[in-house]
Amino acid sequence: MGMRWYVARRLMWTFVVTFIIISITWGLLAAAPDKDIIEAKQKAAQAGQSAEAAEERLNKLRGYDRPLWQRYTDYMVDTFTLNWGWSDSRGQPVTEAILTSLYYTAQYSIPWTILTMVIGASVGLYSAVNQYTKKDHVATFFAFFGMSIPNFWFGIMLLLVFAVQLGWVPVIYNSDVPVFSWANVKQLILPVFVLVTGSIGTYMRVTRNEAAEYLNTDFVKTARAKGADNTRILTRHILRPASVPMSTTFVGSMIALFIGSSYLVEVVFGIPGLGLLTIEAIRSQDTALVIGTSFIGIFASVIGNLLQDIVYTLLDPRIGYGDR
Amino acid sequence: MPSGNNGFDTTEQGSPGMNRRKWLQALGVAGVAGLAGCQGSDSPQDTTTGSTTTDDVGFGEETETEGTTTEAGELPEVGGTYTQAVSSSFDSLNFIYNTESTTNDMITLTLDSAYGFKPGQQMFPRWLELTTDDNRVYTAKLRENLQWSDPYGQLTAEDYVYLIKNVHQTEWAGSAARGDWYIDEEPIPVEKTGKYSFEIQLPEVDPAFPKRPAMWLMKTAPKELLKPYVDEQDAEGLEQDDELNSLSFTGNLGPYKLDSWKRQNKMVFTRNDEYYLREADDVKKAFSKAPYFETVETQIIKEESSRLSALKTGELDEAQIPPNKASNFKQQEDVYLNVTPQPYNVPLFYNQRANGWKPFRKQGVRQALGCAIDKKKFVKGVFRDYAEPEYTWQPKWSPWYDESKVVKYGTGDLYGPEATRSRMEKALSDTEYSYDGDTLVDGNDEQVELTLMYQSSQQTEVATAQFVKQEFAKNAGIKVKLNGVGATKFVRDYWQQQVPDNADSFEWSHGAYNAGPRDKATSKNGWDMARVYGLNTYPMTPTTNEVFFKKDGTYNPYGYYPSFDFASLFSQAKQETDPQKRKEILAEIFGKLSKDQPMGMLALNSDIYGYREGIEGPIEEFFSGWDFSTWHRNDE
Repeated sequence: MGMRWYVARRLMWTFVVTFIIISITWGLLAAAPDKDIIEAKQKAAQAGQSAEAAEERLNKLRGYDRPLWQRYTDYMVDTFTLNWGWSDSRGQPVTEAILTSLYYTAQYSIPWTILTMVIGASVGLYSAVNQYTKKDHVATFFAFFGMSIPNFWFGIMLLLVFAVQLGWVPVIYNSDVPVFSWANVKQLILPVFVLVTGSIGTYMRVTRNEAAEYLNTDFVKTARAKGADNTRILTRHILRPASVPMSTTFVGSMIALFIGSSYLVEVVFGIPGLGLLTIEAIRSQDTALVIGTSFIGIFASVIGNLLQDIVYTLLDPRIGYGDR
Repeated sequence: MPSGNNGFDTTEQGSPGMNRRKWLQALGVAGVAGLAGCQGSDSPQDTTTGSTTTDDVGFGEETETEGTTTEAGELPEVGGTYTQAVSSSFDSLNFIYNTESTTNDMITLTLDSAYGFKPGQQMFPRWLELTTDDNRVYTAKLRENLQWSDPYGQLTAEDYVYLIKNVHQTEWAGSAARGDWYIDEEPIPVEKTGKYSFEIQLPEVDPAFPKRPAMWLMKTAPKELLKPYVDEQDAEGLEQDDELNSLSFTGNLGPYKLDSWKRQNKMVFTRNDEYYLREADDVKKAFSKAPYFETVETQIIKEESSRLSALKTGELDEAQIPPNKASNFKQQEDVYLNVTPQPYNVPLFYNQRANGWKPFRKQGVRQALGCAIDKKKFVKGVFRDYAEPEYTWQPKWSPWYDESKVVKYGTGDLYGPEATRSRMEKALSDTEYSYDGDTLVDGNDEQVELTLMYQSSQQTEVATAQFVKQEFAKNAGIKVKLNGVGATKFVRDYWQQQVPDNADSFEWSHGAYNAGPRDKATSKNGWDMARVYGLNTYPMTPTTNEVFFKKDGTYNPYGYYPSFDFASLFSQAKQETDPQKRKEILAEIFGKLSKDQPMGMLALNSDIYGYREGIEGPIEEFFSGWDFSTWHRNDE
């Protein structure tokens, strides 16, 4: 069975997974109490009017008076025909809301991802060949510090020091500055730093441990016997086999961090990105937007895992698709 | 622009003003935390523009705040950017559906409303003036220089009447202001009487009408813009209309024009050179050149510490400050604090329904508990003195508050273990409850334990709950069990009653918030006390408070049966057109409420704003911001 068939099957499976996740998300939102309706009922009662009549009016306006199956069917059809509808909480189409937010998220998540991969792998490999030295201890401390310290709190502290006390960076995120400008770099330094310290630790430790496993393998010994230095051994002989498990860690941890960490960082630094969009959509029970943003998570997970599988074979040709 | 100014404020409780504010224009009267006193006193005539005038007392000093000119009488220079921060995002700028106060603030920058009120409760005409001869039929007269953006031409009475009749007074549209335009489920008749005038014919006398949000805060839109949606009864289209959402139709009707809106980040407004009030000769001179900032920027900064940091670094000109951070800014040289009193209170509700503690039904018990909490200490400890003790359902600065009639439970001789226990013992003398030493015990000799539901996500709620627990233990010998809960869960499972199938057989049944007599209708789960919601005390329309104190009203989740005939007193006050007589009736009501203690009345909030030094305009009054378009920066 070839790679093409495997990818085609995985893509088909993606549809099934997406269908299930979207259905569950929709069901949870439909079952959740609508805060606006609760509030409208209270207000009506306090105004001497009928709370039930107010509820009925709002239900009708929002289409909640239709049978559940009809609401579900309509929604699924709209979703899969890419008619994602209108975001009530933002007063704009869902697609526009997502694209706008992605634009800001990308500005810090791309450097964050690149720096995590490069620094994490480099320091991890270095630690592997310099195990239990002072530098390894420093790197280990840095890894655990980043993993342990809450991003939210760390961000606030950095702002207080570098923005309020030293005045080196602005407190307020300015969405008007050009993407490639010094002003943008200045305002993104702290969020990227916070995110890199939060994510680099896991990657660094996995790299270190995986690389350490290969240090005493026959092919490394052979390379060393042939006169290869540490750098060559690490980059040419160890990095490639170690990358297979590393890539698993990377995809998993990055997806987990993507929504959770980016939300907290976006709140602290006022970045109008995808994390903020997703959480605010859930908070305001903006069903259309919640489903729309769910697609981003689903896409990142499913496609990310698919890419990871494909990368496996590129990194290790012994892995095939026959049994999958 | 402080959002306390025009009144549409609320708290779902917590640190005052730091919670999400709900603007309830649409929903008329209250709200869980209703309008911040933006519904006026019961006098229609206390206006400077009405056909009748009155000496009705407003809250705040009756002072003219005309001092926006410089000492030499010159008007300030126009220029610069005013940057403010808010904590919440904006849902939509479509005023027909908006219920959020912060969003309304943004809309108001581009679109004034019918009229406003300034200190002393004096009506300040904006688009129109409202007059009446009989307190029943009100005549609105529009200015003649009001222009929509192209191609909609002039704002006329037709636009107003069309919106009211074809949008607000319909079922299909579901507009936010619908409730304002009905009385007893009947639409209020509104008729155009000329190109620039229309009449509102109330079914009965209502001296308070001008101070209700129906007209005061009412905005409108061009008839031609609305018509396609009205013809098709297309509510979704109306809600999503691009012009309504981008405020591109606002012409010369507000001091600023919306330049850009980056969701969850900021809004930028630019100066409107054609602002209609510049031509008006019935307003203070400062308006002739208004507004004074070239740009107004509203930054959305959700995280409180980031907002406060930005105020410190000079990136903001205005930010709201929680009480526990206010002292930090007192020492900051380039920021000054402005404290504005608010009419939202901090009540401790007693569940007097069958699934609460039955002794709450006794006036004597409630009075005893009123003596158990040191209100001055409470205000100082929890609100850092940025609040006022509450003794009745009006703030002290309200014209309806009469010191001689109010009983101040929780202060002086009416505070402490002796004051509490003596009253409690007397009130419970015919029951199984008694004191065993310092402890209140039940018939099984076990200490009375009451549950207190509080909103666990709010810092001030947690502090309040702890304070009540300590004070009840110390002074009343009652053990309080704290039970943290979310606001939505509280409403659904504890506050709303379950409407029984046989509700028709009850003496009354008004739905979830008063499903029937307290022995027959209860919530899903039992509770004793609650500190989750705050309510508005309505110093401008005090008779609105009636709803909280009627046993068979639409809003009585706590099952309170008044010891006095409040319904009749409120009815008298509503109909009374003589200001002095109405004042006496209202003073009697609020005096009796302080005596009856329907719930624990703990404190009344204040809003604290920090402004950059040099910003001129804010005043320490509830109406601060009424003249925001004349605010300016003085760099000298």
